[in-house]
This record gives sequence, C-alpha cells and structure tokens, in this order.
Amino acid sequence: MIIKINKNKFDKFFKILKGNYDVFAPIGDGMNSKFSRVKSIKEINLDISNTDKSPKEIFFPQTEILFNFESQKINLNAEKNKSFAVWGMRPCDAKSLTLIDKIFGSAKQKPNDENFEDPYWKSKYDDALIFSIGCNTPASTCFCNWFESGPFEKIGSDIFVVNTDEYYLMEAVSEKGKVFLKKVTDFEKGIKKDEEKITELKKRAESYLKKSVDLKALDNVIEEIWGNPVWDELSNKCINCGACTFICPTCHCFDIQDEGKEKAGKRIRLWDSCMFPDFTGEASGHNPRLLSKDRFRQRFMHKFKYFPDNNDDYLCTGCGRCIYVCPVNVDIREVVEKIVKCES
Amino acid sequence: MVKELQKKVRELFEDKKVDMVVGWGKGSVPMSATPLFIKSIDEVDDLIFDETCQNNLAVYFTKDKRKLSKDGKKVGVIVKGCDDRSLVLYSIEKQIKRDDIVIIGVPCDGVIDKNKILRKTNNREVIEYNCDEKKVKVKGRDFELTLDKKDVLSDSCLTCSYPDAQVYDEFIGKARKKVDCKDEFKKVDDFEKLSLDERWNAITEEYSKCIRCYACRNVCPSCYCTKCFVDTNKPQWIGKSPEITDSIIFHLIRNLHVAGRCVECGACARACPVGIDLLLLNKKITKEINQRFDYTAGLDIDEKPVMTTYCENEKQDFIMG
Amino acid sequence: MKNTYIPVPMKVENIITEDPNKTLRTYDLSFINSEDRKNFKYMPGQFCEFSILGKGESPFGIASSPTEKDFLRFTVNNTGLVTNEIHYLRKGDNVGIRGPLGNWYPVEKFKGENIVIIGGGFAFTTLRSLLIYLLEHRKDYGEITVIYGARNPDLFIYKDEIAEWEKRDDLNLHLTIDKKADGWDKLVGFVPAVVKELAPKAEKTWCVVCGPPIMIKFTLPVLVQLKFPNDRIYTSLERKMKCGIGKCGRCNIGSKYICIDGPVFSMEDINNISEEI
Repeated sequence: MIIKINKNKFDKFFKILKGNYDVFAPIGDGMNSKFSRVKSIKEINLDISNTDKSPKEIFFPQTEILFNFESQKINLNAEKNKSFAVWGMRPCDAKSLTLIDKIFGSAKQKPNDENFEDPYWKSKYDDALIFSIGCNTPASTCFCNWFESGPFEKIGSDIFVVNTDEYYLMEAVSEKGKVFLKKVTDFEKGIKKDEEKITELKKRAESYLKKSVDLKALDNVIEEIWGNPVWDELSNKCINCGACTFICPTCHCFDIQDEGKEKAGKRIRLWDSCMFPDFTGEASGHNPRLLSKDRFRQRFMHKFKYFPDNNDDYLCTGCGRCIYVCPVNVDIREVVEKIVKCES
Repeated sequence: MVKELQKKVRELFEDKKVDMVVGWGKGSVPMSATPLFIKSIDEVDDLIFDETCQNNLAVYFTKDKRKLSKDGKKVGVIVKGCDDRSLVLYSIEKQIKRDDIVIIGVPCDGVIDKNKILRKTNNREVIEYNCDEKKVKVKGRDFELTLDKKDVLSDSCLTCSYPDAQVYDEFIGKARKKVDCKDEFKKVDDFEKLSLDERWNAITEEYSKCIRCYACRNVCPSCYCTKCFVDTNKPQWIGKSPEITDSIIFHLIRNLHVAGRCVECGACARACPVGIDLLLLNKKITKEINQRFDYTAGLDIDEKPVMTTYCENEKQDFIMG
Repeated sequence: MKNTYIPVPMKVENIITEDPNKTLRTYDLSFINSEDRKNFKYMPGQFCEFSILGKGESPFGIASSPTEKDFLRFTVNNTGLVTNEIHYLRKGDNVGIRGPLGNWYPVEKFKGENIVIIGGGFAFTTLRSLLIYLLEHRKDYGEITVIYGARNPDLFIYKDEIAEWEKRDDLNLHLTIDKKADGWDKLVGFVPAVVKELAPKAEKTWCVVCGPPIMIKFTLPVLVQLKFPNDRIYTSLERKMKCGIGKCGRCNIGSKYICIDGPVFSMEDINNISEEI
C-alpha cells in the first residue's frame, strides 16, 4: 500500500516523525553536504544527489567514545538515545549500511561461532527507521547497476519513498516501516496512477546509467590477480590520502586510541584508512603493506575479493563518491575494468 | 599547443632522452584531468594540457612515489610554473638530481577549481564542459551555464606571478618571466585587518570542516617527510580524531613546515574534499617571507633554503619585539 | 549484549625479566573478579588484548596454559607505545585484558600422535602454553620434540623452565643458537638447518612452528621437504591488530583475518591465501 503525502503537507508528516524519532536528513548546499540532525524541514535539501559525506557517520561516527575511565574505573555511557530516523537516504547508501551491518551487526564470527556484536553500531542501527528515496536522476558517476541493484533499490530501506513533483509516495518495506506507517493516518492512499508514476520514474532513472561491467568476469580474474603487475600501473597515480575511504559509505575500518591520561580519559575509536602506512605498520618498523601499491591493492581487493569471500557481496554500492573526490582521478570503475581485462 | 607538446615528447622518446614522461591525460569525469605515466611512444597521443590539468606532478618524485624515477632512468615531466618551482625546490633540498630529469614547460593560463564551478551550479552535476580563453560553458541534465573563466580559476592562479617554468630543458612556446600580479596579497591583507577574535573565529570555522583525510598533505609536493608528525605515536604529538584543536594544530604546523617552501600551487585546496580554504595561511606566510627575506620559493636552483640560512642584516623585529 | 571492547580488570602478580637487556619481560596476571576468572576459558594458541588505560591496547599470545589455573602469563617485548608502558608496570598494578581471542592449536587432533614444536626467540610464548598443556596431558600424546632457537643464549625465554624440561626423559629438547658463544655446549645453527637434521619422521607427526617471520619463511619449506603434509603443519601468524574481533579491518592476509580466522593456520590454509604472508 502506498501512502501519498502532498509536499505542502510534509510539515505535518515531519512532525509525526519528529515526535517519535531523532531525525537525520541531508543538509547543506555546494560543498560539504552531509546528513545531520534536523529540527525543521527548512534545513533539508533533497536536491543533493549524493551528500559529500556519506550517512555512515550517523551510525558509525568518525570518532566515537567506547568508554570513559577514571583511575581504573570504566564508565559506559548508559543513556539510551531516542531512536534515529533518516529521511532522504539514497538507495545506494541504504544498501551500504546493510553491508557494514554484516561486519558490525549480526555476523556470526569465527572461531567457535561466537557472536562478537558491536554494541555501539547495533544500538543505533538496529532501531533506526530508514526512509530511502528513489534516485530520480543518477549522476554520471553512479554505477549502482553493477551490483544487481539500481536507483530504486529497496534493500536496507524501512520505508521507500518516491519523490514526484507533487507528492512523496511512501511504501513500507520492513516490519518497522509498516508499524510506523500505521501511525500515519490522515493522508491520502496511493492509486494505480501513482504506481504507474513510480514505474515511469524508475525506468527513466535506470536509463541514465551506463552499461554494467561483467562482475562475473571480475570474479574469475580476481582469484589470481594479487601478484599481477597491473597493480603497479593502476596505483602509480594514487597518492594514498584517505579521502576515498572517508567519504565511502561502506569503508568501515577503524583505529582504537586512548585520549587523556591514566587518571582520567577516554578510549575512542576513529575511522582509519588502509591508505595510510600506519594502518598496518608495526611498532618494530615492519610493515606488510609498505608500498603505495600494497595499500592501493588492499582497498580494491577488500571491496571485490576479501569481503565477497567472507560475506557473499561486494563492498561497494556504486555511489560514485570516491570518483569525484579523488584528487588524482583514480576511478574505481576504471580499476575494475582494467582488472577484468587482465588475462587470468 | 597540445599537438606541439606531443611532438616534443615523441622526439624525446625517439632521441632516447627519456624513458618515461609524467604528464596529464583526460580524466574520467568532466572538468578533470589525471596524472599520466607515459612509458612508450605509442602512449603519447593520450597526453593533454589544458586548464583542467590541476595536479602538481612534482609530487611523483618524492614520498612513496620516489620509486617511479629510480634505476638510473631518465624521467621527463611536464610542468606548469608552480610545478616547476616544486622541482627546483626538490633540487635545492637534494631530493632529486636536476640532471636526472627532463623538464618540459607548458604555458599556463591557470587551472580551474571544479569546486568553484559546482558552487555556481548549486552542486548540480556537470555532464558537459567546454572552455575557451574567457568563458567556461557547463551543461547538466536540466541546466546550462556560461561562466567567466576567471571566476572559476583556482585561487592560487589568481595570485600567480610565475605561470611558466623558469628552469626547464624544453618549453612549448615561449616562457614568460615574472608577470605582474596585482593584489597578490589582498586576501591576506584583508584578513590581517580583522580583529584577533575575528581571525580566530574564521580559522576555527574553516578547520572545523576537516576530516583528517590528509589529501592536502599527500598532494602537497613540499610535504614529503618519511614519517609525518601526525603519524608518530612515540611520542604522539596530536590526537588523531578530527577534534578542532587537533585539526588546527595539524594545519598550522603544516603551514609552518612548508614556510619558505610553499610554491603556492594550490593543490592542497583543490584536493580538499570538504572545501577548506587552505591557501590563506600559506599565503600569509609567503607574504612574510617575501617581505622579510625578499625570497620566493622555487625560483633559483642555486639559492639556499631561506629558513636554514642566516644573514646578519636580516630584520629581527619578530624576536626583539 | 556483551560489550567485547571492555577490558576485564587484572592485577600484576609477578614480573620476570627474561634477558640482560631487559627488553623482554614476563607478566603473570590474576583476575580481580572471580566471576571474570570463571568465564575466561582458553586454549593454547589464543591471544588477548592487553590494555593500559590512557595508553591503549596491544595483542599478545597467552603464554600460560589453561592447566595453570592461578594466573595468565604474557611475555612482552618492549617495542612500541603500549609495550613500553607495560614495562613500567610493577607488582600489584592494575591492568586490563580482553579475550581470549582467536583460535588455537588443534590439540584434539594431535591426540595419540607425535608432535614437533619449533620455535624461535621470544615467539615461544604460545608454544610454552602448548608444551605445558601437552606435558600436563602427557599420556594422550606420542613422542614430543622441541626445537628452540635464539640468536644467542641470553635470548631464550623461560630459562628456568627450560632447565627443568631438559631433565625430562619424555621430551626431546634441542636448543640452538645462531653463532658460537662462550660456555654454550648445545647446538649451533639456524633453526631450519637443525630441523632438517633433527626433526622426527613425518609419519603420524604434527608440526607447530612459531617464530620471527624470517624463521617461519625458511622453516616451512624444510618441513615440506621432510614430507610433512600441509595439513599437519601449523603456525601462528601476526599482524597489527586493534579490535581483535574481526571488525577494525587491518589484520587480514587476503580474505583471512588473523584475529578471527587465526592466529593459528595450517600450511594448507596459508597456501589458499592470495596475499603473501
């Protein structure tokens, strides 16, 4: 069932949402757009196709306190936050959270099938209500269609929204989404014409995307690609900054650091990047990924081989952020295309 | 011009004067170019040079990339004025041997800052891009804009006095010496006029955007320490998270560390994914060094580094008060 | 939900300096809460994150054996920020640990068969755990051979225990140093060469190798030469680690994460990894 919210009545809907949730939405224009807590609909900018910073930071902030300590006493923040709702997430980003969730969330971990859940991630992500919004005009850097997905993908979404000229058409995807939409009475119901509109927008959006690369071919080649000299050629121009990894919605590697003194301080975790030498550099001076090439290779192998080996999915959703943020124009699509062309 | 450049590079390969040439090729998205490493004559056709060639290619001669120019191979490098100054700096600082590289200068009329264009398009995607001498035309799915080129040039180019290489082996066309640049330090002068609080607030606001991805440091040709002070943990000088105090310390120390060495190429500002105005404080230091020591980095290959040289007649008012 | 990032409080019970340069020290820790002690069940080969509040964490293989109920033992080489801080610890100080983490040597599979333990330098920690465990269950296993090498006589750890082991007749212990040294009357030569000469027959025998990367690199081919099958050779690998629970993303070798797929790997596992070890 589709619920139809006229855009001039959106304020009313937003109030219901805000009554139940802490609401995040895309804000900002020009540079530095991101998802942020919003108080009113005036702050929201849905025209941004993909925010500069990805919404992963809502659930996995760049810096997060694991615990505070005083002398030898460890203090956990016991406050229970209001649950989060995220309005206006792109389907690629909604999907990316499900990929991070495979690591932080529900994954059965070896050995002994022990379940090392990440309480910091789960306490935020599990209760969150995610409104993903169909992507009407994918950018030329978008390649979500490579991953059996598309601009109207519903994976990772609780309520799927289609943005038409006049309306937001909403459809519950998950149980959580159904429960919420039941609270939203007083709005129109969608009719057949609306469903047709959705199909039309979806079709048009998909037509903007370029043809997908054959990832089956990639799977065949990547088995033997590790020692291939192609990595020298591909990595030559990479300057190993962490911009791609920090704006990536699926990169989730982190560091743990203590701040403060023994008497009182905090243990934090913060985003780290496989691009940095210190990511794997050991205290002895030994570094298994010493060269720029080694680190470059790790990023792509993690996304297209290691993560798929363990989790049966690529660690990339084709959002295209890394393509336009890279200072030297390393284009992840070109990297994959060149690997595919390598004879296995 | 590009044809001439390709011809010249082809000749260099034919005459066995180079084993590799570092230049620019067409980027994969509009308004972009990408560093290109040409190893044989049949790749020369991929070479381009225009206002999108914003990377400072000198960076590929230090840091992790040092290996590119090793093994007694002759490497050619195509340079704008600022890139050339970086190579001169490297030569002064004994990072490269001048004789090991072949410097090919190209005439530069400034490079664009695509972030400036995106601000004009309200961050709507540019699908088509064209540029002539004066105007930049951009097209998106539902808009078309014609912009004055000078409004979208990188800030560093607007205050550039040395657009062309001063030290080179080959030059495509005729290299200009110093060009007149009015108001080179205008932004700095305006900034200096602000009150202490206003200046501090401006800096705090700017650097609070920093996500500590170190793109600015990694694209900076003058930043080539084997181990950057932010990466050491014994001792750990600053926190690694993007706390505003730590981020400011990172940027200020970087400013000081490149004092007298910054060639004002603007690569840092263009690389910043969150659009921090990284040039202002560098420019401030450049101004100080300019006025106090009458020195401009990367022009004279025989000059000693300004910050490690002492002259008795130097003004010392900053010490004496 | 269990929060695996929270260290369990421990007390330093005893400190032994292992070498004259004082870079290697062994710490025996006891649990402060009896509940934590009850919940802490481990096997030889597993590791812990050793935590010092205000400085951070560092991973170490557990050197004690689960058969030693009173303490947890770690031997720490002073190289970095956290290890340096550990070397400042005194008896009675409070620290923290997270663990046990990772997998272990497959002692169940070893039952009824021979075992050869090959170690180098201060990497003998989890091998000590294994050896103590095997000796404690001596009748379950066949012949036990230990080949232990160090650069010089000072760099063996657990010297007092080595003296005890030498007296046993149910254990073949071979000690070797890299270069001749005054007063040394045992073997001289690198570990791979000694293995080639003194390793027992490959039939019905399991191998466990642990040492510096260079030693592992040259010992593994010798074992293959001696016809040890790949699935009977085990080693313990190391990488920089932070979380220890498969999340922070840095300790992988190819698709395998040292912290949750290892640190113990068979030669067979290693051959299937695309990245070089």
